[in-house]
Amino acid sequence: MIYAILVLWIFLAAIIIPERRGIRIIIYFAIFSLVTALSFFLLGSPDVAMAEAAISTFSTIFFVICFEKHFRLKADGEGDPEKKEVSKAAAAKKYVLPLLLIVPLFALFIFFRPGPEVSTYLKDLYITRFAQDVGGVNAVTSIYLAYRVYDTLFEALVLVIAIVAVSHMSAFKEMTVPDGEHSDIERDGLAVFTIRIIAPILLLFGVYLVMNGHISPGGGFQGGVAVAAFFICRYMIYNIYDMPVKKIIRLEEVLFMTAVAIAVFGVFLGAGTFVPLEYLRLYQESYLILMNILIGLKVACACIVLFYRFVAIERR
Amino acid sequence: MNTGILNTDLIELICILVFFLGFYGLIATTNVIKSIVFLWVMEMAVIMFFLSIGYNIGIVAPIGTDLVPGQVADPLPQALMITTIVIGLAVTAVNITMLITLVRKHKSANWDILRKKSSES
Repeated sequence: MIYAILVLWIFLAAIIIPERRGIRIIIYFAIFSLVTALSFFLLGSPDVAMAEAAISTFSTIFFVICFEKHFRLKADGEGDPEKKEVSKAAAAKKYVLPLLLIVPLFALFIFFRPGPEVSTYLKDLYITRFAQDVGGVNAVTSIYLAYRVYDTLFEALVLVIAIVAVSHMSAFKEMTVPDGEHSDIERDGLAVFTIRIIAPILLLFGVYLVMNGHISPGGGFQGGVAVAAFFICRYMIYNIYDMPVKKIIRLEEVLFMTAVAIAVFGVFLGAGTFVPLEYLRLYQESYLILMNILIGLKVACACIVLFYRFVAIERR
Repeated sequence: MNTGILNTDLIELICILVFFLGFYGLIATTNVIKSIVFLWVMEMAVIMFFLSIGYNIGIVAPIGTDLVPGQVADPLPQALMITTIVIGLAVTAVNITMLITLVRKHKSANWDILRKKSSES
């Protein structure tokens, strides 16, 4: 089963290479992400599959907004130079020369990869001890919220930096969109009707994922993205730009600092290690739920800010 | 060290293949949108490589109370890969913002034209 899905995976990765029409690239990208999520699930990791499905949807939205610009350029006659006639020598130089680099690297990776024997010491330790150490039923959540909580926090920091970069690079003079302004995008009545029905269920599902992250697949990241998708649905329904983006960025920073404070607090209780296991034994599942809520809200804020920045770019 | 093709695990081989497909697409294309897509493809191949460590037929997810270490997937790469996927979203968002800025300035999303125009100015 997994091998059939993986063959489809290779095919989808290969079919994007000769594709020239922009909208098809994005559709193939979406299908590729979906197949990737399915293979992650078959490899025994539903948490990662859920994160991949949720986040590739967000990336697809960004690509569609970007493609809108690119497509308009082509319509303006600025031309897609890929369609221009090129000589055979130039084409050979462009498409064959990279192969000379790729093929030896590929051979190197295949012949000198490490052996199949992987140490399972940490795996056995985590699987046998996470229930007493941290609590909860989901081993993945226990690892990324307790044993490896600093990894998770630095990843959240990367998301903060991404928001700063996007805000900085999209800051032009005519950047500001007045609050309450309606966009001029044509909307399909049937789509809006469907989104109206789906949106509350989506919010409920996101909150469920965040709250039940420690006993079922899901968690802060996946649930946070689902909650952010609710706000995208809200934009689609009311078609209005009234999100207080700067306040949401402040809120996100406060949530992030709170999460850091809670994680670092255990060190000062005399736990002895950087992973505050002694401290965790006192609180067990309440710690997991609290951290999941904080990280979920933080990721939701980040995704909302990213989406609204992109909408603002698109409407200039 | 394992130096034979036949001994290698098939899933890891597929992951390396897709990684280099993505790398080829990244450097052989002239379309900037396609380059960003192939960056994502490479990242997915790396994540699949990590998740397939220790894969056997009939393996189950590491969720439950009485887990036997031999029959469940490794939870440590999974916990790290969730964060990697979220970083992928950040990378894609920053890339697309840079692309939109370039398109606004140079009116093109083609590597050749962009290189020519940026060397002129």
